[in-house]
Amino acid sequence: MSKPTSCIQIEPDLIAAATGEATERAAARVQTHVSGCRSCRDDFARYRAVDALVGTLRAETPPAGDADAARQRLITRLADLKSRLVSYQVFPSPLGPILIAASEHGVALVEYVRRHDAGDSRLFRLADVDTQEGGAALERLHGELLDYLAGRRTRLEWPLDLRFARSDFERAVLQATAAVPYGAVSSYTGIAGELGKPSAVRAVAQALRHNPLPIVVPCHRIVGIGGDLVGYAGDRLGLKEQLLTVEGVPTVHARTPRIARAAMYHYAPNPDRQYCLPTCGTIATRPLGQVRLFGRRELAEVTGLSPCVDCRPDLHPISA
Amino acid sequence: MGETVRFDEAGFETIVATHHGEIYRYLRRLSWRAVEADDLSQETFLRAYRARARLTPDANVRAWLFAIATNVFRNHLRSERRRRAAHDTVRATRREVELDGPEAEAVAGEVRTLTETAIRGLPLKQRLAFTLRKMHELDYEVIGQSLDCSPESARAHVFQALRKIRTTLNGHALPMTEPTR
Repeated sequence: MSKPTSCIQIEPDLIAAATGEATERAAARVQTHVSGCRSCRDDFARYRAVDALVGTLRAETPPAGDADAARQRLITRLADLKSRLVSYQVFPSPLGPILIAASEHGVALVEYVRRHDAGDSRLFRLADVDTQEGGAALERLHGELLDYLAGRRTRLEWPLDLRFARSDFERAVLQATAAVPYGAVSSYTGIAGELGKPSAVRAVAQALRHNPLPIVVPCHRIVGIGGDLVGYAGDRLGLKEQLLTVEGVPTVHARTPRIARAAMYHYAPNPDRQYCLPTCGTIATRPLGQVRLFGRRELAEVTGLSPCVDCRPDLHPISA
Repeated sequence: MGETVRFDEAGFETIVATHHGEIYRYLRRLSWRAVEADDLSQETFLRAYRARARLTPDANVRAWLFAIATNVFRNHLRSERRRRAAHDTVRATRREVELDGPEAEAVAGEVRTLTETAIRGLPLKQRLAFTLRKMHELDYEVIGQSLDCSPESARAHVFQALRKIRTTLNGHALPMTEPTR
């Protein structure tokens, strides 16, 4: 026995009306139809019953303890993921493509990469790291980095995560390096001295060779004791020179690029915190590291130094 | 100088606190075993955490999580299917349903168990659409997004599911609600 056409046509509305899905108009059509059709009236009643059964199932919840236990396990796994997760992105810059990577604690890696897909990044060779591309915070870091490289900003006040430093010694070297101010230059020997390990010059150089946060931890401000730029990002001394130029540090090209010490202000620690011209006494002969150099007077004074009252760098500024 | 960059994830803790219970119940309804729902709900939130950067401030977080959970469940089924030979699954399924048998004989529960079995036996998309709509009362728009289909076909899936459940219950006395006018 086949159903009349009108019953077949009303069926979707009938299901809808019986299960609370119908529009008012459809519900009215169904009412009219079932009042005159016994078979559809029965159908309607059975769909109502199904709907009520479904309602019973909806009201059932698993034991609260199960959900709580599941949530606790989730929180543990989430904490584990967070501790391993590092977001990264490769950005264009005047120094070539740069990868910036950050964990929940802060920026963990800044790296010059040669490929825009970051395929050559050391990020993918590190153990205990879970990587993920992109993130809004990274975009902002990139903006600040560009400002820095254009000289519009002198500090990158980023929270740092030193997880990729390989030892406490390396972390100490990075921290000492981070304390060398904008526009200033020190030497590997100087950092070793500050750490109270004057003989660890090579170890300092090694640590900075592995600096996971170039630019942010300004290893470009650390040069050889004779002023040679020495190493940077492998053999890319040009990058080091560009970064120093942005900060107003003069360089000269002899056989190798070196800083123009004679054209820089000198600071040897003294109780009055006074900085000098290179012609003041024997200051120009003291090893770089024991003296810190500044390309620009203002940048020395920003760090709290004042002009020497003997040589008066304020009255006789070094002309550029 | 610049504003400090925010790295804290307090927002996500709130998302977990607010939505975990419901997502867990959803996956528990779909899964055979509690431990499965446990794993899948963890997987859902771990994925959500990784994808959180793509979440806009005005996004419907609940809908977003349901979509991820649905995806996680479907992937899980796919890998389960690969892992076991198909006939093994069917046999295991039957056995589990039969285990419920003696209890289900208790008259009150019989129709209910039949309904549950009917829901479990639905084709996947119908079952998902039905569960999202009738158990969690999501909009068809949202269900369509979760299932990669239009709101209209999401609705059609739900109706198809209702027809099948009704057919399964044919010949059984149903607790009737109010009489039809």
